[in-house]
Amino acid sequence: MATAPQTQTSTPVLTRTYGIIAEFDTPADAMHAAEKVRDAGFRKWDVHSPFPVHGMDAAMGLGNSKVGWFSFFGGMAGLTTGMLMIWFMNGFDYKIIVGGKPLFSPLYAFPVSYELTILFASFATLFGMFGLNRLPRLHHPLLRNKTFRQATHDKFYVVIETADPKYSATETRKLLESSGSKHIEMVEE
Amino acid sequence: MASHPNSSVTATWPSWLRNLPMILVALGAIGIVAGLVSIKDHGQQLGYSYLLAYMFFLSICLGGLFLVILHHLFDAMWSVPVRRICEHLAFLLPIMALLFIPIAYLAPQIYPWMSIDAHHDHALKAKSALINQKAFYVVAAILFAIWSLLSYKLRAWSLEQDKTGAAKCTRAMRFHSAWGIFAFALSLTMAAIFWMKSLQHQFFSTMYGVYYFAGSVWLTLFTVYIITLVLKNTGPLKDVVGRRQFYDLGAISFAFTVFYAYIHFSQYFLIWNAAVPEETFWYVLREHGTWWQIGMLLIFGHFLLPFLALLRIDFKMKLAVMGPLCLWAWIMHFCDMSFNITPVLQIFRKAQAAVAAGHGDLSHNMTTMTPDGFAVHPLDLACMAFIGGVLALVFIKYFKAHPAYPQKDPRMAETMGVYIPSSSDISIASGGAK
Repeated sequence: MATAPQTQTSTPVLTRTYGIIAEFDTPADAMHAAEKVRDAGFRKWDVHSPFPVHGMDAAMGLGNSKVGWFSFFGGMAGLTTGMLMIWFMNGFDYKIIVGGKPLFSPLYAFPVSYELTILFASFATLFGMFGLNRLPRLHHPLLRNKTFRQATHDKFYVVIETADPKYSATETRKLLESSGSKHIEMVEE
Repeated sequence: MASHPNSSVTATWPSWLRNLPMILVALGAIGIVAGLVSIKDHGQQLGYSYLLAYMFFLSICLGGLFLVILHHLFDAMWSVPVRRICEHLAFLLPIMALLFIPIAYLAPQIYPWMSIDAHHDHALKAKSALINQKAFYVVAAILFAIWSLLSYKLRAWSLEQDKTGAAKCTRAMRFHSAWGIFAFALSLTMAAIFWMKSLQHQFFSTMYGVYYFAGSVWLTLFTVYIITLVLKNTGPLKDVVGRRQFYDLGAISFAFTVFYAYIHFSQYFLIWNAAVPEETFWYVLREHGTWWQIGMLLIFGHFLLPFLALLRIDFKMKLAVMGPLCLWAWIMHFCDMSFNITPVLQIFRKAQAAVAAGHGDLSHNMTTMTPDGFAVHPLDLACMAFIGGVLALVFIKYFKAHPAYPQKDPRMAETMGVYIPSSSDISIASGGAK
C-alpha cells in the first residue's frame, strides 16, 4: 500500500493521483488538444503517441532541446583533453622526436584530439539526454495504467500531472473534454 | 511561355539592381580592355585574373549540377522548390564553355608546363601522358560536352514534367543522375587538375579534386540560399518555400563547412606528415609573404567562423546571420581560389625573369622561387564582374522564361506539408470492410 503522508486529508486516500489522462483517436485531435493545454499555461504535462507527430513540438510550445549544449561542451572538452594529453606526453613529460617533427604540433595531435572530440561529445550527448529526461528510472505511474497501453498501438494521449500549479480537478477535466477527448481518467501514482 | 508570371519578377526591384548584371558586364569589359592595353605582358596578368574568376564561377555552376543530381539520387523531397534554381545554375555550364575561350587562348601564358620541355623535366615527363597541350584542349572539350549534355537533359526533363506531369520524366532524371554522378565526379576532378593544379605540375595530391568539389558545393549552397530568399521575398517562390527549405539549405551548408575543412586538412596533414619535397613545396611556397595569413584565414574564416555560426538551429533561418555569412562565403571562396592560383603568377614572373637573365631553368625556378603575398589585382575584379555579370544575365533570362519551381513534381505536395491520398490508399479505405 502506497503511503503519501503529505497529502493525507480528512478523507482517507489509499493512492495518490499522478495526473489526468485524455485519449484521442487521431494525431490531429491530440495536436489541437496540445495547443489548448499549451495556451492554458500548463507546465507539467506531455503528449504520447505511437509515432512522431510533425508539428507537435510547436503545438506543445517546446523550445529547442538543451542536449546540444552538452554536445558542444563535451566536444570542446574532448579537443582540449586530446591536445593537452599529447602536449604533456610528447612535448613536456617525456620529450621525444618522432619523424623529425616538432616536439609538439597541433597538426599531428589533431587526429587523436578529433577522435576525443567526437567521443566526449557523444558521451555528453547521451548522458546529457539521460540527465535531462531523468533516466534511467525503474517505474513510471503511466506504465501501470491499462488505458495507456494503447499509446504504443493506435491511440494518442495528453497527460497533465496533478503536480502542475495550474491543475484543478474540475477545470482541467473540462478543458480536456472541450478539446474533444472521448475518454478521460485519473492515473494513480 | 512568353506571358509567364516570372517575366515580371524583376519589375519590383530598384532600377540599379535590375541593371546590375549589365553594369557589371560593361565595367568588367572596360576593365579587361583597359588592362590589355596598359599591361604589356602578353596577357599573362589577364590570363591569371580570368582563370581566378573562371574557377570561382565554375564552382557555382558545378555545384548547381551536383545539387540537382543529389536531389534525384536521394529521391529528395525538401529540395523540390529550389531545384529549378539549381537546374538553371547547372545549365550555365554551356555558357561557361564559351567563356573558356580566353583561357584556351591564353593557356601558354598561364601554364608554365606549356613552355617547359618535358625532356628536361622529370615530373613533366612522368606526367606527360596526361599533362600535354593536345590533352589539355581535348579534355576541355570532353568536359564541356559532358556537362552540357548532363545539365541540358536534367533541366529539359524537368521542364517537360511541368507540362505533362508524367512519371517517366522523374525516371529519366534519375537515369541521368545515376550515370551523371560518376561523370560529374571524374569530370570535376579532371577540371581541377588541368585548370588549377597543373599550374604547378610537379605537385601531387589525390585530394585536389575533392578539395575543389567541397569548396564549390559549399559556395553554391550559400548562393542558392540567397537566390531562394530573394525569390521568396519578391514573389515567385513565396508559396512553396518555407522554413524547411532554409533550414535544410543551412544544414547542408554546415555539413559542407565541415567537409571542406576535413578535406583541406587531410590534404595538408598528409603532406606535412610525409614531408616529401615533391609535395611540401606547394604549401611551403604559400607560407611566404601574406599568403601565410591567407592560409590562416582559410582555417579560421573558411571553416571556424561559419562552423560556429551554423551550429545553432535558429541561426540557419535568421537573415541577419545568413545574409552576411553568404557574402562571407563568396569572399572566402575567392581567397581560396586566389590561394591556389595567384601565388603561381608571382612565382612564374620571377622564374621567367631569372631565365631571361640566364639563371637556372624554368622548372627548377618554379619550385624554388617564392611568391610576394596576397594581392587583388584590378583585373581580378574586372574578370569577376564580367563573368559574374554574364552568368547573372543568362540566369535571369532562364528564370523569366520558365516556371519558377517544378510545377508537377510528384514530391511537391509532400514538401509543402500537404497530404494527398494515393489511389491505393483510397482503395484500401473503401474496401477495408471486406
